[in-house]
Parts: sequence; C-alpha cells; structure tokens
Amino acid sequence: MDKQPVVVTGMGVICPLGLNVKEFWAGLAAGKSGINYITCFDASNYQVKVAGEVNGFDPTKFMDIKTVERTRRPTHFAMAVVQEAMESARLDMSQEQAERVGVVTTNMLECELIAEGWETLQKRGPRKVDPLFFTKSSPSVISLHIGMFLGAKGPNTSVNSLCASGADAIGTALNFIRLGYADVMIAGGSDASLGAMTVAAIGRLGALSPEPDPDKACRPFDLNRNGFIYGEGAGLVILETYEHAKRRGAPILAELAGAGWTYDAHNITAPHPDAEAIAMRTALQNAGVKPEEVDYINAHGTSTKLNDISETNAIKMAFGDRAYRIPISSSKSMFGHLITAGGAVESIGVVLTIMNGIIPPTIHYETPDPECDLDYVPNVARPAEVNVCLKDSFGLGGQNCCLVFKRFKGE
Amino acid sequence: MSATEETVKDIIVKIVHCDREVLTPTATFQDMKADSLDMVQVLVALEDEFGIEIPDEDAQKFQNFGDFITYVDAKVAEKGNA
Repeated sequence: MDKQPVVVTGMGVICPLGLNVKEFWAGLAAGKSGINYITCFDASNYQVKVAGEVNGFDPTKFMDIKTVERTRRPTHFAMAVVQEAMESARLDMSQEQAERVGVVTTNMLECELIAEGWETLQKRGPRKVDPLFFTKSSPSVISLHIGMFLGAKGPNTSVNSLCASGADAIGTALNFIRLGYADVMIAGGSDASLGAMTVAAIGRLGALSPEPDPDKACRPFDLNRNGFIYGEGAGLVILETYEHAKRRGAPILAELAGAGWTYDAHNITAPHPDAEAIAMRTALQNAGVKPEEVDYINAHGTSTKLNDISETNAIKMAFGDRAYRIPISSSKSMFGHLITAGGAVESIGVVLTIMNGIIPPTIHYETPDPECDLDYVPNVARPAEVNVCLKDSFGLGGQNCCLVFKRFKGE
Repeated sequence: MSATEETVKDIIVKIVHCDREVLTPTATFQDMKADSLDMVQVLVALEDEFGIEIPDEDAQKFQNFGDFITYVDAKVAEKGNA
C-alpha cells in the first residue's frame, strides 16, 4: 500500500463550546465548560439534569428552508460544518475532479423519528406515514447531503461504531485515499441524538452522570466521576494527499499519519483494556511512529468508572513506564460526549493542539483516583510543543479506533 | 374568494414555500415550484384539515391550484350531505 502523506487541510465544528472552529478552540484552550441544564426536553422526572446542548444554531443560514424541513438536526449541523471546512481548506469543487472527492460520515440512530413514525402508522395508518421517513432516518443521510451539496462523486459511505464512529469515519477516509480511490475526502460525524429517548435509555444503563450541577460535570479520571454527559455537535475534516494539497496551495494543518482498529469481543457494555491497547499500538505502527515519539494523548475519557480505568490501563500496556510522562486529557470534560460525532470533534481539537502548542486540560478534576494515576493535565491548559498525538475513541460494545496526528514536516 | 381557497393557500404556502400571489386558479405545480414530495405532504395536510380522503387516483388528475379547490369543495359538500 502506498503510504503517501495524507494531510488535514480544512476543519469545521459545531459543539457546545461554539458554532465554529474559532469559538471551539477558544473554549478548549481556556478550559471552558459547555455543559448546562437540559432544555431540549423536559428532564424534570429524569435523574440526569445536565447535557452539552448546542444553542443559537440557525440552519436556515446554511440551507434553503425546504431542505431544512426535509432533514433532521444532524444534517443541519453537518451542512453548516462542511461549509466551514471547505472554506478553511479553500477547496473549490469547480477546480476538482468530482469522482476523486469522497465523503465518509457517521450519525446516530434517529430514535425519536422512528418512534413518531411508528406511532403515526399505528394510530393513523400507512397512508399518513411521512414519505421521507426513510431518507430522514437513514444512517447514510449526512454523506448523501454533503455529497449532493458539493457535487462530490467519489466514494460516499457511512460507518458506525457508536462512540468510536467519528474517529472511525476519519480513519476509513484515510484508507480510501491510501488505497487510491480518492484524492480528497470529507470525513467526520454529526450527532443530535441528545433527547428524551436516548437519555432515558443510556441513563437506565447507568452510564450517564446524575450530577445536577453543570459546574461540576463531568469529571474524567477523577475519583468521584459518575458517568458521562450527553452532548451534541458535529465535526468534519478535509483530508487530501500531500501532493494534491501542495498542487493547489492548500493550508496544511497537520498530517493524519495512521489509524488502528480493534474489537474487545468481551462485553456489550463494559470495556476491556487489551484490545484498546492493541488499537493504540496498531495506529502507531500504521503511522510509522514509535511509542516514545507520542507527546500527547487525547483520551476517549468518558468519565464513567469503567472507561477511565480501562483506558488508563490500556495506555500503560501500550506505552509501558512512559505512560506516566505523556500528557493525557479528556475534551469530554468540557463539552460532554458527542456520541458518534465525538471522535471527529475531538480529532479537530487534536489538530488545533498541534497547531497552537497548547494542550487543553481535563477540567473539573479534583480528587485523584489511585486506579487512574497518569498525567491528565488537570484543570489548566498546558503550553507544549506537540508533534505527535494519539487520539483514542472507544465505542460502547467494544469497537475501538485510534488515530495518529502529526505536525506536518514536509515530504 | 372562498374560505376553502384561503385555507388551501395557507397549506400550500407553508409546505411548498411559494409566494401566495403565485396561487391563481390556473397555477400549475411547476408555477409553484413544487415537487412530488411537496404534493404528498400537501395532500395529507388537506385530508387532515378538511377531514376528507383523497385517493391517489383522484390526486393524479390535479393539474393546477383551481383543481384543488374544486375537488376539496366537492368532497366537503359530499361529506355534509352524507
């Protein structure tokens, strides 16, 4: 396989910290929290009280009203984010060979749309079912709309590995480029599954934090952590071969050097460190990077009891004693868990970390946990030259995907 | 202008997002810039609003805005006489 460098040339973000990359980075670098009381549904009879909502987003700024009405919130986010990413990459589709530009995205099950559709069917019969039920709820919907909007006719698909999906989409896009199917890929995820049904279900699973105070949620790697905070948002990156980026004079933000995937094959809700560690090592090998070269790990860091211990142990297995000397932080402490979009939004945070030389902190960290005894960059961002970064993403059910981003130092 | 006409206009404008002025009796779907999905939604909204049923074979005969009004008025009258 031809491992020519693949670089990141553009990025777009919407998340609880802000509606674009600039606001996102300002929040990350300042260790700001985007968590607040739930307003998108009535949570009065829920144990869970806070979430990472996106506020002040107006989809009609990015799409015509009819398309807004015919699509759902994840598509709305994605259409805004792809426009920011294309602008930042200065990518002009009229100058591109359409079949060489592809899209890989991910999004979450449209639980509430499906429930509403079923209720309509039961109460009012098949003639009243929304004819757009399929296209609105399909997991392919975001890739379809991005490809349509851009006129991108290359590989167009979607992946899902739950909480690892965003990283998975980016890693899959890397492979499409490396295997020669595309010169440019738009990759990432968009998730607006935060809602009454999903919070009820994940809450029943015991994975969500019941912390009622938004100023204390959530607390990855802290002894008193008690679950993750549900969030929503979207992140997309533009990936292209270095040759292609150079030819068109594109801004080169970082190199996506490698990806690694594994599956725990262990338990549907509990993680296992063995396969997580192998995913890390596989990603490093794939990137041609030695463990001692890694100078920052952006953790999956959900703030559940089990994840943070398992991830800590996996990092020790993958890095040995050096694990204690690598700064590790969880961006989820600031904006929550964006589920399928999390790995994509966090990857953008990693690229910004490399570009700006500032490691965002793990906020709300108060009490060390003897079982999580690494350097989690507590509470305050840390200036550091970051050349090689490992991004962890672990999906509920045991699907793992790790990515390696590097400062791009030329051919 | 009948009450039916005003209500049908409200429904079409809300779903199709065309200008209200476009909706003259001879206005075609093309004039409204409506596609087939718009029409499916408009028909369901009309059925709900007027408490009638519009079989697909009837809907396929609609050519313009005037046809909607004529059809709905007739269906509503039929319902009243039943």
